[in-house]
Amino acid sequence: MTVHFVHLLDELQRRSLRMASAVEDMVQEACEAVAHTNHELARRIIARDTDIDAEEVAVEGEALRLMTLFQPMGADMRQLCAILKVNNDLERIADCAVNMAERARHLDADAPADVRNELTAIFPAVRRMLHEAVRAYAGNDQTLAERVLTEDEVIDTFYGEFIRNIAALAHQSPERMHALLDYLSIAKNLERIADHASNVAEDVIYLTTGQIVRHQGK
Amino acid sequence: MMTDVQEYDLSNDRSGTIARPAIPAVQVRPAASSDAVPQSADDAPVITTDALSIYYGKFAAVQEATMAIPPRQVTAIIGPSGCGKSTLLRAFNRMNDFIPGMRVTGGLRCLDWEVYGSKTDAVELRRRVGMVFQKPNPFPKSTYKNVAWGARVNGYRGDLDELVERSLRQAALWDEVKDKLHASSLALSGGQQQRLCIARAIALQPDILLMDEPCSALDPIATSKIEDLIDALKERYTVVLVTHNMQQAARVSDLTAFMYMGRLIEFDATNTIFTSPHNRQTQDYITGRFG
Repeated sequence: MTVHFVHLLDELQRRSLRMASAVEDMVQEACEAVAHTNHELARRIIARDTDIDAEEVAVEGEALRLMTLFQPMGADMRQLCAILKVNNDLERIADCAVNMAERARHLDADAPADVRNELTAIFPAVRRMLHEAVRAYAGNDQTLAERVLTEDEVIDTFYGEFIRNIAALAHQSPERMHALLDYLSIAKNLERIADHASNVAEDVIYLTTGQIVRHQGK
Repeated sequence: MMTDVQEYDLSNDRSGTIARPAIPAVQVRPAASSDAVPQSADDAPVITTDALSIYYGKFAAVQEATMAIPPRQVTAIIGPSGCGKSTLLRAFNRMNDFIPGMRVTGGLRCLDWEVYGSKTDAVELRRRVGMVFQKPNPFPKSTYKNVAWGARVNGYRGDLDELVERSLRQAALWDEVKDKLHASSLALSGGQQQRLCIARAIALQPDILLMDEPCSALDPIATSKIEDLIDALKERYTVVLVTHNMQQAARVSDLTAFMYMGRLIEFDATNTIFTSPHNRQTQDYITGRFG
């Protein structure tokens, strides 16, 4: 029975990681759709959300089934708890990517380039943070997870400055308000993605150490 | 369905961890967590072992176990068959005395006694340290006489009716038997008989109750009642429980000791043992990788 359980748990972990890869792809494509005002790409991202939602439900169902049938303990229980929590964050990250894609469909080619350039400059940092969080999750890498947590501050600082710039621009050029609000929404979703990546990193630390590190030092 | 995406390596693959691990050369000493450390004189340990070894002839059933069991908490001892947990439990009130070839080295203190000291009165020790066994073993007498018997033998001079009622109430059995106190105890169900045995032990006003797999012969409903009872008993008594059922240990105990092949591998708060044990052997046992 133990061998059977270990097999099922590993298969569920792989399924969760496949979902993480798909969500990473969605975020990458959402960034491209914004950077290049690619409406077709944005439409495809929005269409993928249904798959992610279905997968989230399937992973959660399987995790709950394993908990009920096998009543795991120790590292196995931590693993299932981490899968459940990461599963929720991945689905929320996919929602953020969809929100970005929806904003990208509003943008037109002559949207203010200066604001777009400022926004796209933060894309690599957000994508790297998410990628490292998923890598830490895949490899039970506590060190990498702790590094991810330090990166969230960079994104938060950017977001704070971006809001101030948008407010100043809105005051100077109220006719650009629609585009500025779209960019502000995109920035907000990027900041949320970074927060969810931090959550994943915290779950990895719980998975590896048994310590709950949420809400510390804030 | 997720397709066409990057595959991450599972560096934490468990398939290689199922093999039986080697016994460490150096014993892991119990590291009681902060909530298990005595905070005052009232919380001083009631049972302490110091490098305790118990032999049956040349066979060391328990090897250099060192632990401190705090009062009014439930301590569970878990481990695979033959690991020495019942031997250790039975040493606490000298139930092993009549096993040929049994001998003890190291220290074992229980309440005020050096348990195997030459001046220790084993009968008085067993009155203060009661035992509940795997299979219910009521005397073939009435419920009333089962509870009152020990007190009578020990010259109890109080109100026996009151003692019987109080003991049965503490054992959560009174409401079920109050109208048939003088009927044979053998007519009770297995779960009721086990609670009667607990009431019989309580009637001697012990400080410590030892329980050797008290639910292994009971159905799930009766098991649930005994577990609720154990939780209630710790308000007055120190309970030390040997169980094969890890979920039961996780549910009812405050502290858990894991033994393997005679050695005390890890002793810590139950929450720690079952969520984040420090020792790899404990981890492998609670996740079913061996044992």
